Amino acid sequence: MKPAKTQQESAGSFRIDAEIDRVLATEEELIPSSGFMASVMERVQEESAVPPPIPFPWKRAIPGILLAAGVFGWGGFEFVRSGLPATLTLPHLSAGYEHSVESAGWVAMALGVSLVSWLLSRRLAGRGGLL
Amino acid sequence: MTTTLTSATPKSAADDLADVERVLAGEVRAFEGIVRRWQRPLVNMAWRYCRDRGRAEEMAQEAFIRAWRGLAQWRREGSFSTWLFALAANVYRSELKRFPTETLPLDEAPEPAGPASQQRELEEQRRCEALRRALLALPPRYREPVILYYFHEQDVAAAARNLGLPEGTLKARLSRARALLRQRFPQLEGGKDAMEVAAMERGKEVTD
Repeated sequence: MKPAKTQQESAGSFRIDAEIDRVLATEEELIPSSGFMASVMERVQEESAVPPPIPFPWKRAIPGILLAAGVFGWGGFEFVRSGLPATLTLPHLSAGYEHSVESAGWVAMALGVSLVSWLLSRRLAGRGGLL
Repeated sequence: MTTTLTSATPKSAADDLADVERVLAGEVRAFEGIVRRWQRPLVNMAWRYCRDRGRAEEMAQEAFIRAWRGLAQWRREGSFSTWLFALAANVYRSELKRFPTETLPLDEAPEPAGPASQQRELEEQRRCEALRRALLALPPRYREPVILYYFHEQDVAAAARNLGLPEGTLKARLSRARALLRQRFPQLEGGKDAMEVAAMERGKEVTD
């Protein structure tokens, strides 16, 4: 009895699948509107008229990146060397840690001032943008 | 019918290659040949993703623009059509993720006032459209394999290539998608009158 029902069910599924196949395979074909190609080519022309993006100035940026990495590396090293164990065990900041934080603050401020003066000079020179 | 949509003949493959070379050499107008050959397949493919004509053209246009930008990335060992369809599928998928399709009401067609044969035809159309729209309600992982499988004339390998899936995975997802559709449309089983099925569909819409 049960196998017969299963057979019946699978036959039903097969028929539904065949119907799904029939419906989905006989999709009507859409014809693009007459202006489609022209609008695509218009956008392509616009794209081609735009100058290529300016590559990132790695040559100029690398010294700055290296300097920043060095400063942060040094700061991290000093932090670990002088202050980390104390901060982990003591609730108050050690003198060495405070000194490191103070130094890092000065370095960050110097970098900030440099960045602002560089941006200001570029703006005054009439060269907008960051790069 | 779909043979002309998705199949690249040797001549068109040679034309594609020639046009791509010309575009990469700086001849922008050569891209027109590519658009002319592939506009119908790309628009039809987009249509199956969203079932909205205006949006399908917008999505196809975006796919062409992406193809234009990334033309140099086409590796010559694969066919141009495979690369283009895979790119288009990515574009359509992300477009629909950004702005999902709205499920439109099925009662768009006017009430048939003609003879019974016309009514039967309308009901049949309505039933087919209900099934095609039900496809859009499937989860994306099942919907896309179905769309591409039928778009590629039930070619598992082509659909799997476009989706970057193993064929076995695609078959499994197709099977699951069919099971979901069977649950939604049990009345599709043969032997039922189209009118009867459509009436059942209408009843279901009311209760859903």
